[in-house]
Amino acid sequence: MKRIALLLWLSLVLPLAAASDAHREYDAMETYEPHVRGDQSLSGSYKHWAHPGKLDWRLAGNPEENWKLNWKFMDPPFNASVHGGHFALDRGEQLFRELNAKARFARCLGAGKAGLKGLRARYPQYRADLKRIAGLEEVIEYCAAREGRVLQNGSYDNSAVSLYVASQSNGMPMRVDVGKGVMRDAFERGRKLFHTRAGKLHLACSSCHTHKVGLQLRGSVITTPYGDAVHYPVYRTRYFLQSLHLRFAECNLDTRTQPLVPGSRAYTDLEVFMTALSNGYPVTVPSERD
Amino acid sequence: MRSISILAGLAVALVLPVWAQGLPRDAAVNAAAPNKTLEPRVVTNSGRLEWLPHAHNLTPWPTLSHEDRRPAPKPRKARLAGPLDGDAGRGRDIAVRPDKGYCIVCHQIPGEEWPGTVGLDLRGFKQRQYADAAVYQQIFDARVNNAQTVMPPFGTNNILSEQEIRDLVVFLQSLE
Ligand code: HEC
Ligand code: HEC
Repeated sequence: MKRIALLLWLSLVLPLAAASDAHREYDAMETYEPHVRGDQSLSGSYKHWAHPGKLDWRLAGNPEENWKLNWKFMDPPFNASVHGGHFALDRGEQLFRELNAKARFARCLGAGKAGLKGLRARYPQYRADLKRIAGLEEVIEYCAAREGRVLQNGSYDNSAVSLYVASQSNGMPMRVDVGKGVMRDAFERGRKLFHTRAGKLHLACSSCHTHKVGLQLRGSVITTPYGDAVHYPVYRTRYFLQSLHLRFAECNLDTRTQPLVPGSRAYTDLEVFMTALSNGYPVTVPSERD
Repeated sequence: MRSISILAGLAVALVLPVWAQGLPRDAAVNAAAPNKTLEPRVVTNSGRLEWLPHAHNLTPWPTLSHEDRRPAPKPRKARLAGPLDGDAGRGRDIAVRPDKGYCIVCHQIPGEEWPGTVGLDLRGFKQRQYADAAVYQQIFDARVNNAQTVMPPFGTNNILSEQEIRDLVVFLQSLE
């Protein structure tokens, strides 16, 4: 018994101790304003998409230049087509009603007197019951489990509920306060992760999203990281409903980096970072992206 | 007591394979799958997220997990020994294939539509009159020339073999 315990301890501690100062590389570390207007000093494209209701039709119709709209022409109200995101939204509403039959689920998500209104705009947030910072999808999984239902983080049904909750904040500006305490620490960890080289291709998120904005990777143009978090979960025109953490996993896989599971601490820190870069921009769902 | 030791044994069995590889516990892997790495698949109208085997084993390289203490390979100087002995046709194939060099994702080469613009235009490369050894080094590990480069270290990270890099050098040096 003692020997097993020792083995267990060794297997946990040795790999950590042996490599505690391992060599990692970072992109040139930039600073970011925790507000969407910070893009003015990054890509400068913000002026073209600052007002979702007033996008320039000519820019949207020009494939050479439409990246300057940060793909906002695929969001409502500009994009008025009915797509998979709308079906997901309907499903999410139905699931929400079932889960909230005893009025406990909404309270668990953090709804106060105003109900779901404005809730999306305040996530990620520190949750005393979980003793950590959590994104909306992680909390949906947790609160659904308390109602006896499995809604795994990243699953269609989880994202559908998240989409419905987000729709109740449509038009309200994102406001995640990263000015102090654990939220500021998470923002800083997220910023560092954003510049951390990883994977077989040895790329950081910032290698593309900060340092190569507006340039082309074959058919795709890289856009600014500002203002992206507001339209998640998003309907991908080719196949499926995607949470923000699954988008991180996709960019990881695209750059031959081992992905992490949704709800992992690192992805949550990245979510805090990217959501703060959307502060001040209205929640906009359901949206599509290619 | 017995149940505790069984529990501890189980924990070792579960934890050891992962930690022995230095892989963080929040990596999406199945140690029993052929390539270990998994990719998510979203199933419509389901509360479960499906995980499928990924086509490549990505576990040897560092992840973004806070638990990941594995080092990234350091920049490496390469020595080009002996005659170049490469093949331009094979080089071109390596440059366009997504599972090989996929240089065209960032670079433009003659005859390819949808060129990448993240890297430099490589058309007319021969006119730049670089030494073969310099081109070899750039592909093997571009960090030696520019510590902040976004160009992947194809040699150091075993993305391409030495012969494949030689083929690419011959191909690039043939671009009039
Ligand atoms: C090799 C370049 C590259 C790297 C590295 C990269 N991405 Fe991306 N990413 C793209 C491209 C191209 C797109 C699609 C076009 C766009 O929206 O910028 C994209 C899209 C995204 C989106 C969706 C934006 C939207 O409007 O919905 C997010 C979020 C994102 N990336 C986050 C990340 C994160 C986080 C990392 C690091 C873990 C990362 N990316 C690494 C190239 C990259
Ligand atoms: C992720 C983008 C990316 C990929 C993929 C990439 N490169 Fe590059 N490459 C660059 C950038 C950017 C530069 C400019 C130098 C720098 O920034 O370090 C460059 C520079 C070069 C140069 C030097 C050009 C000159 O005239 O000085 C050569 C040669 C080159 N790359 C070859 C290749 C080959 C061959 C491949 C495929 C095996 C490849 N690159 C893949 C981004 C990339």
